[in-house]
Amino acid sequence: MVYIQLPKLKRERVVVLTGREAVTISILSLVVAFIIFSGFLMLEGASPIEAYGHIFTFAFNPELGLSTTLHRGFFILFSTLAFIVPMSAGLWNIGMEGQFYLGTIGAFAIAYSFPNLHPALLIPLMLIVGALSGAGYGALAGFLRGKLNVNEVVVTLMLNNIAFWLVYLLTVGGPWAGIAESTSRPLPASAHAPIVWNIPFTSFLAIGIAVILYIFLKYSVLGYQIRVLGNSPVVAKHIGINATKITILVMAIGGAIAGLSGYHMWAGDPAFRLIPRPEAYKAIGDLTYWGILIGLICLLNSIATIPFSVFIGSIIVGSTVLVRRLRLPFGLDVLFLGVISLTFVAFQFFHHYRIKRIRRG
Amino acid sequence: MKNGTPILEVRGITKRFPGGVVALDHVDFEVRAGEVHAILGENGAGKTTLMNILFGVLQPDEGEIYVYGKRVKFRSPLDAMNLGIGMVHQIRKLIPAHTVLENIILGHPKTGTIINMKKAREEVKALCERYGFKIDLDARVWQLSAGEQQLVEILRALYRGAKILILDEPTSVLTPLEIDSFLNSMKSMAKEGIATIPFVTHKLPEVFAISDRITVLRRGKVVKRLETREATMKALAEYMVGREVLFTLEKPKVKIGEEILRVENVSALNDKGVLALKGVSFSIREGEIFGIAGVAGNGQQELAEVIAGLRKPIGGRIFFKGRDITNTSVLERMKMGIGYIPPERLGVGVIGNFSLVDNILMGIYFDPEFSNKGFLNYKKIRDYAKKYISEFEVVAPSIDTKAAHLSGGNLQRLILARVIPRTSKLLIANSPTVGLDIAATEAVRSRILACKEKGMGVLLISEDLDEVLQLSDRVAPIYEGRFVKILSAEEAKKEVVGAMMAGALSGGV
Amino acid sequence: MWPFIVRSLEVATILLLAAIGELLNQRSGVLNVGIEGLMLLGAASGFITAMFLGVIPGYIVGMCLGALFGLLHAFFSISLRVNQVVSGMGIWLFAMGFVTYWADRYSGPLPPGVVSIRIYGLSPIFFLAVAVVLIIWFILSKTHLGLKIRSTGENPFAAEVSGVRVIRIRYLCTIIGGALGGLAGAFLSLTYLGTWSHLPTKGLGWIALALVMFSLWRPLILLGGALLFGFVWQFAISPETIYAGIPAPLPVLRMLPFIITIILLVIISSERFRRRWWLAKPEALGVPYIKE
Repeated sequence: MVYIQLPKLKRERVVVLTGREAVTISILSLVVAFIIFSGFLMLEGASPIEAYGHIFTFAFNPELGLSTTLHRGFFILFSTLAFIVPMSAGLWNIGMEGQFYLGTIGAFAIAYSFPNLHPALLIPLMLIVGALSGAGYGALAGFLRGKLNVNEVVVTLMLNNIAFWLVYLLTVGGPWAGIAESTSRPLPASAHAPIVWNIPFTSFLAIGIAVILYIFLKYSVLGYQIRVLGNSPVVAKHIGINATKITILVMAIGGAIAGLSGYHMWAGDPAFRLIPRPEAYKAIGDLTYWGILIGLICLLNSIATIPFSVFIGSIIVGSTVLVRRLRLPFGLDVLFLGVISLTFVAFQFFHHYRIKRIRRG
Repeated sequence: MKNGTPILEVRGITKRFPGGVVALDHVDFEVRAGEVHAILGENGAGKTTLMNILFGVLQPDEGEIYVYGKRVKFRSPLDAMNLGIGMVHQIRKLIPAHTVLENIILGHPKTGTIINMKKAREEVKALCERYGFKIDLDARVWQLSAGEQQLVEILRALYRGAKILILDEPTSVLTPLEIDSFLNSMKSMAKEGIATIPFVTHKLPEVFAISDRITVLRRGKVVKRLETREATMKALAEYMVGREVLFTLEKPKVKIGEEILRVENVSALNDKGVLALKGVSFSIREGEIFGIAGVAGNGQQELAEVIAGLRKPIGGRIFFKGRDITNTSVLERMKMGIGYIPPERLGVGVIGNFSLVDNILMGIYFDPEFSNKGFLNYKKIRDYAKKYISEFEVVAPSIDTKAAHLSGGNLQRLILARVIPRTSKLLIANSPTVGLDIAATEAVRSRILACKEKGMGVLLISEDLDEVLQLSDRVAPIYEGRFVKILSAEEAKKEVVGAMMAGALSGGV
Repeated sequence: MWPFIVRSLEVATILLLAAIGELLNQRSGVLNVGIEGLMLLGAASGFITAMFLGVIPGYIVGMCLGALFGLLHAFFSISLRVNQVVSGMGIWLFAMGFVTYWADRYSGPLPPGVVSIRIYGLSPIFFLAVAVVLIIWFILSKTHLGLKIRSTGENPFAAEVSGVRVIRIRYLCTIIGGALGGLAGAFLSLTYLGTWSHLPTKGLGWIALALVMFSLWRPLILLGGALLFGFVWQFAISPETIYAGIPAPLPVLRMLPFIITIILLVIISSERFRRRWWLAKPEALGVPYIKE
């Protein structure tokens, strides 16, 4: 008789997760996502290897998709950073979508009001007003949470839906409606984002914010207070940290960062330079939720989120070839993102546990 | 089952944990029907492991358990319950939002698909009458006192037909009055042939009052089995610790100085919005330790929080060196030199996910000396942390170790290293030694005395009556949100304070 | 007027089914913020099935797929102990992608022969939804199973020592919650809309999630809340059926349900309500159960 001895497995709590472990876990989860998605590709009669080849050559080819990849990647980076700041204080900002819409509204309102202003004045003004609008929207949720103890997850979600209709109100048949009726009027040329190395300059702004946030959260007194609050509100109270103030502040910072992405998105991509029809701006708005997953996977390390955001950008842009070039069914590209989000979630398990093999005998 | 016949036998139980720790090493003992068989041991002697094995939570690596002479194996608590073993937990495993009755009948097969509340009520009532228990079955558990909650756990076990009852530290949170009624219920259960196995660490006197036989555990081994009438307190303590116990600290002679803190008629609500502190007044002077003795939940927690600035009082005023600080924030009070040691460590006094440096930083982050234009000066902070971590003898591989890796005693040392160096005037120590081993307890107590020596005022709150009496210059027993009386060290005899904190004696004595 | 009432009751049906499922799994201690995703999956699978097999198989398949993803959420959050908000979000993001890929190719109305049964214009599913609420109310408050579920959500450790199989109860409730979410979605696409358009749920799932909070986790209050929101939602979509001269433009009306939600949330979070809420909110909601 031959006995096959199965290894006995046991899960063990991880007390502290190192950065290296987090990277390994994320890569493994991506591998699994690629394997699962291969199944869908084969179901549609495509060769996975060929398809993945197409996706990445398109996404990273400077002649084809690279600049869009980076543009979308840095858009997601804005969302991720907007999620990280409140999360460092223990707050779930699910409202990047709404804050992005508000940022859009703020920036466009300036551009439409002062179309003749010099770009050197107009563009910073658009960014500032966009950031302020987003910050106000974030601070609203922060105020409700910090002052009145209203659950921030539900409030930010509701605010997202409200902001969606706000943009709708302005564009579809509203005061900003363009000739196409369901899109807005195009931005004046003075508002277009200057392009540096083939990407809008706001991309560098995103990187700069990521670096500043890293230093801010790690080395500033305020950043320290935010981290204490995020790790334990009880401890924060015991050492005299004003939770209400910080709650409003972090939500406002998060909102401001998400607000900036409004300008980045529409003024930065030559394909837009207006607010498109509702389904299209909603599809972009839905991308902001990636910020949550990326932020958590990177353990709220804002510098680590840069490559991750760009990678997700490459999937977003690259997988459009599945539909456009390989003539695979519509929606397969978004499905790919969905599969990745699911494996990311499943692999969160390894952020808390480690599987150990128990030796027998 | 006739009283005196063996009902539970444990033979050669051994349990090893990963990392080679032997929690139990060939433990055996036997329990007879209707007897009270106490199991004694210090923290870490293996009591919890043994208890978990008897109740089916853990499985032993070696050894056998016999119930009514039949060998049994428990895969889960359910198996243990079905064989008539019940458990009364120290940390109550009850559902606070549900009624007493719901808690008792939960999960019992007899309860049926659709609950017949009337029938269930009659059955539980009958049970109460049989054992002489008094409890309101419709009360919500969160409204009950610690003693009543314990009764619910006992009733739950009896309702399931338990013949053997394991009790985890049964008297540790009870008032002296509740202890009396608890002892009575033990007697009535013994009469009905129910064997009870209390597991005890402190509170040796109660062991004498209730038990028939005693088994002493030390480091996972049975070191002594004896009949209670053969035992003495001193001998038991020696068996438990393994050496002679000397619990005397020299109280330094310090000149009592000016008044630091004056509390006038302060009242406060607890978290549930119920008035928990009802008009307390006292003062503390330089070099004085003011002790508050009381059973948890009598308002002392709220009092400590009000003085530390964590809780807003609803009435009364607080003066610090003559200045009204009733409405100042925690941070301002910290800056004035008021330090607070909370009763819990991880998640209240310490962040496990932070390094030791970042934990020490919690005491100084607001000090401009350690930052520059809003940014932290980590070089200075690390030097500061290093100094006090070594001074307070926190044992850790490095100052960058995460606090989660530290033991309880080291965590408390870390909290002291954060709080005490920045405390210049008033230290509030809330249950500072709870759950600590003997060495750490001694270290903490001598630190508190050192604060007194430096001329600080100390407010010491503890459930450990001996600790309060040993360290304090004045003692206030607290009962239901009021000081019964403020006693000088000479007046504060253990019996008197004990009776006062149980509400049995008013201040007029 | 009657068509408007019927439409409102249909929206109420969607909210009722989704929210009562969520209420059940929250009472057992599992938070599922991915109801919007469950509804999308139910809507898509129900719609596609109905195109080929008819409405009733559509409902059944929608429910089954919802249950399947309820199971997945249970696996993630109970067995893998992933943060419940993250798991729910992940399922929602997946559902958006999967449903777009799977169902958008069938965009358009159902084939002519496929119609929902209606009595005086009203779908029997409405009565089913009300019945489900009443049944769940009965189970939670009168039966032993209900006591076990509530105990699991309040204090799983206490439940376990009383012999309640915590993990099993949580799985059960989360799967049922998923099934009801799926059914809600199927009802949305098959009966309320009758056509497929890109991501049709439009935030109804989030409203359902908020409804559970307003109801203070009580099924009968939930019933009232769902009827109210059904009315508000339908009013925002077709105000002209009530009163043609509403001055507010459509998008403003569409914001209304979300604004009302925030206002209600603020009210129930107030100090006065909070005291009551603390007693109502399952104590162990969102906390993974870890033995040891």
